[in-house]
Amino acid sequence: MQMPPPLLPRRKLLLAMGCALATSAHGGAAAIPSSSVAIVVRSDLPVENLSFSELRRLMLGDRQFWSSNVKVTLLVRAPGARERDIVLKTIYQMSEAQFRQYWIAKVFRAEAASGPRIVYSNEMATELAAEIPGAVAFVDASQVPKGLKVLKIDGKLPGDAGYPLH
Amino acid sequence: MKRKALAACILLLVPVCAAAQTADPATRELIEKLLARIDSLEKRVAELEGERSTQAPTPAAPPVTAGQKPPIPAVMPPMHDHDQVPVPSTNTPEREYPFLKLAGFGDMDFSASNLHGSNGGFEPQTLLGSHSGFALGQTTLHLISALSPKVNFFGELTFTARSDAGTGTPPVPGFNAEIERLIIRYDINDLFKVSFGRYHTPINYWNTAFHHGQWLQTTISRPEMVEFGGSFIPVHFIGTLVEGALPADGLNLNYQWGLGNGRGQVISRGGDPGDINNNRAWLFNGFLRPDHPYGLQVGGSVYRDELDPLGGPVAREWIESAHIVWTKETPEFLAEFANVNHQPLFGGPAANSQAWYVQTAYRLPWFDRMFKPYYRIEQIHVPRADAIFKPVPTFTASTSGLRYDFSPLAAFKLEYRYYWRRDLPPIRGIFSQVSFTF
Repeated sequence: MQMPPPLLPRRKLLLAMGCALATSAHGGAAAIPSSSVAIVVRSDLPVENLSFSELRRLMLGDRQFWSSNVKVTLLVRAPGARERDIVLKTIYQMSEAQFRQYWIAKVFRAEAASGPRIVYSNEMATELAAEIPGAVAFVDASQVPKGLKVLKIDGKLPGDAGYPLH
Repeated sequence: MKRKALAACILLLVPVCAAAQTADPATRELIEKLLARIDSLEKRVAELEGERSTQAPTPAAPPVTAGQKPPIPAVMPPMHDHDQVPVPSTNTPEREYPFLKLAGFGDMDFSASNLHGSNGGFEPQTLLGSHSGFALGQTTLHLISALSPKVNFFGELTFTARSDAGTGTPPVPGFNAEIERLIIRYDINDLFKVSFGRYHTPINYWNTAFHHGQWLQTTISRPEMVEFGGSFIPVHFIGTLVEGALPADGLNLNYQWGLGNGRGQVISRGGDPGDINNNRAWLFNGFLRPDHPYGLQVGGSVYRDELDPLGGPVAREWIESAHIVWTKETPEFLAEFANVNHQPLFGGPAANSQAWYVQTAYRLPWFDRMFKPYYRIEQIHVPRADAIFKPVPTFTASTSGLRYDFSPLAAFKLEYRYYWRRDLPPIRGIFSQVSFTF
């Protein structure tokens, strides 16, 4: 396996300049505020609000259909994404290993035909959510495109006090 | 990526260059050197991209017309199928049917006990043999195929090492292939799903929670009341099943109602080729998974059949069972009870046989949560008057062990068991297993 070459002094200088300029462009405030995770669905799905328990049943695969008999398709970010960490910690209350074992067992029991579909970016999540009827995706609340519906949880939207997914 | 980084650097440097009009000569010289460096890096990137394109030519992407959505970015291949990335290889979000997925389980075992001779009715999967040594467990293949958005096929095939599976005289060891489950199911909605096929009888939690996936269960062996090849509970069921779930104000009531062939003349086997009489077996299983506390499941079942066993009386069989489980790992708790009632139809005493187990485990918070100690106590009691359950052992067993998940998809288990047997000396043994999914 070939290791990347060490940084040359000039490259280091270039990077340092870039970092310094970027910092100055933000007026010296380098911290990016983290936002909540929004639950997004297609705008034509006749759902506006879910209780947290309903959301958990959806995510556990115990509820597989929307009330309109449209099948639920779960879109979950790949391991390492902040959105996935929040979903696992808040909704599933599982570690990464437990989550994996849960879905292997769920499919093996024939309780579900497949686990969540894995998406590798918020952009991919929103694109698939817009394309697949019944899909539900979890994306950074600041990156929700127009045309998708953000579901409330217990009547709360991302940014509201008491919103659970952050 | 590199190009993006370079572009970002250039953008960042624009104001610097503007400021350079008034900068001192040393700064101007530095900026010129940096720009030259960027030029050389850009050339290098172009060379590398040129080399890559000549090595692996890719088909030209279809042009994106105005108003048309660009294709969804290509999906990285999953590291493992169990990562659950059933996204088609094409960029379209819609699946093509059938959509087949294959998974599997396997295990390797070692056992050593003070048993010398017959084990008195325990099944081979319990690993109570007259000799110590290694044994291949089961290789299990699980097939799932979506035939349409609401119709799915589930299959489970096993290959089990047996001392008498081969042909010839004397019988030589070999592998026994078996269709464990074969189910086609139509999911109309959450409330109503109907299926046909061969099932693991859903009158026992363990029987349907872990199936033949040894890796899924905490311990090495199943409780004897649901051991594969055992007779206490009819492990398999051939027929039809209607099932569903309803919220029930947060109680989440699940039900399963089944009609099928019931036990065969060898009562450990289901009636695969057909029923042995004109009486169908039926079952009802109901359980709650309440919203609060999250992780709890409580349920019970009823099963009814008419038996015509080899070497036993024709009898009506009623089974009542109950379970309570806490599916989280801190702690894990499983407890089940079953009563089997046999009423001979042409004379003879009725009998009630009971079996139960209680198992607890705890995922330790240290060492990356890889260790889980566990303990189980189980009992089967068959009255001597039960003419149908004569081969079923009466015993109490204590199992203590440790599970070590050395990989997210593989585990090593080590356990010690002690069996108190009716009319027979006790058995002590140590057992180990490597189990995995693939």
